[in-house]
Amino acid sequence: MSLPLRDDPKRELWYAWYAAVFFYTLYSVIFFLVTHVQPPGQPWYTPTQVTHWFAHYHNGLLIGFALIFALGGLSATSIALITYSIRRMSVSRAFAYSYLILYAVSAVPGFLFICVAMTAGTFRPDRDPQLQQWLYDFGFLSFSGTMGVFLIGSLIWMTAILLDKNRVFPKWFGYLNLCNALTEVVVAPSWIFYRGVFAWNGLIAWWIDVFVFGIYTGVFLMLLRNMILREDFGSGPLPELPLLARQAPATLELAS
Amino acid sequence: MGRISGERIIFWTLPAVAIIWILAFCLFPGFLPPMSPTSSAGDVARFYQEHTARVRYSMIVLNWFCVALIPILMLIVERMRRMAHRTPIMRYCMIGVAGAAPIVFLTSSVFWLLAAFRPDRAPDLTQMYNDLAWITFTCGVPFLVGQCVFLAISIGLDEQPQPVFPRWVASFNIVIALALIPAAFAGLAHTGALAWNGFLSFWVKNVAIALWIIVMSVVLAKALQRDVAVAGAAA
Repeated sequence: MSLPLRDDPKRELWYAWYAAVFFYTLYSVIFFLVTHVQPPGQPWYTPTQVTHWFAHYHNGLLIGFALIFALGGLSATSIALITYSIRRMSVSRAFAYSYLILYAVSAVPGFLFICVAMTAGTFRPDRDPQLQQWLYDFGFLSFSGTMGVFLIGSLIWMTAILLDKNRVFPKWFGYLNLCNALTEVVVAPSWIFYRGVFAWNGLIAWWIDVFVFGIYTGVFLMLLRNMILREDFGSGPLPELPLLARQAPATLELAS
Repeated sequence: MGRISGERIIFWTLPAVAIIWILAFCLFPGFLPPMSPTSSAGDVARFYQEHTARVRYSMIVLNWFCVALIPILMLIVERMRRMAHRTPIMRYCMIGVAGAAPIVFLTSSVFWLLAAFRPDRAPDLTQMYNDLAWITFTCGVPFLVGQCVFLAISIGLDEQPQPVFPRWVASFNIVIALALIPAAFAGLAHTGALAWNGFLSFWVKNVAIALWIIVMSVVLAKALQRDVAVAGAAA
């Protein structure tokens, strides 16, 4: 890291890493402090209370989600880095590509739906309270209760780490993936309960989940940083480009 | 040569897709001029009752073809293999957003079709679907912005005597990203330039998308031609 970033041979990895850290910071600040959708609103609110909830957080909801609408695409950088990490492992590319697709799809339940639903609710405060409640439910349930992409995604990453012989990630992080996957299992009852530990704001379906996800995200960002630090591209020439590599297929691995 | 002719087939789907998009855009009665966010629930309901067929047909077409640009985006991703990068990381970023962007259009078309499915529904419900459609369509730019930014950085990093795409394409993509961003804030206004029917959120955003498709298809065509020439020389 003694080189200035623009001359660093690892610069594309660093750009992605800094963008990923920026995205997760922005995401936390907006969801917790600006829009106040974390911790989530109460699932047992009556339609009138929901209307008040929208009115109370009016500006925060609109401005916060507008920023996510503008910058949410940066979420792709952490996905790309993790996909790259799996490509460095001694496992089939199928793991890397599965992870890439699963997490690309996860942007829809991960932020797009809640942004759309909450913006629509805040946009017309005088809408029929029953409809406001539907938008409120749509926002929180699509966010908390969409589990499959994260469940399967984490299991794919876990399996790749546990099979890997190149030690790209420590084995214990493989098991931390399992913890993250299990949180996706225990949120399922949020589709059924209005109150208690399993409701979308409950001890299990929210507090434990967010605690595990927070640790998981912090840890994987640090481990990705370590992975980039360990990479040694030297300062030598770039790997062969594919046109040449077609004549000598053995060099293709590095470039692709 | 097999791969290159396959890429040509994909490339030449673009004019057809463009024509279909323009026709669907003109067929939808709510785009020219764009519907106003200040319309009452009654007015919105009346709009869907009067224009049921055109809303349905235009949105069925858009639902089919909103994803049709993905193969073209993959041609760009394939060109990125030739860039002077050390890792595939920028390509992964592009693939990540290329899948998510059309889902935004797909979702908005579903909301529009829902609104038109039972035009005699309670006006408040029709208005809610209409709001969801317009907010999704207008504010849903994050993946397009990401696409432009990733492409700009990729081109910036492609430091070789003959880069895959000319340097100015990087600046062009930054300009397009900046033109798309105001639309993300359409939820904040019912009238004016930021409103979903306003100058920035509707006209600038949609013209920027059209311009991006035109410019990128021209530079993509040149990059494809060069690949054919290089492959021909190597053979």
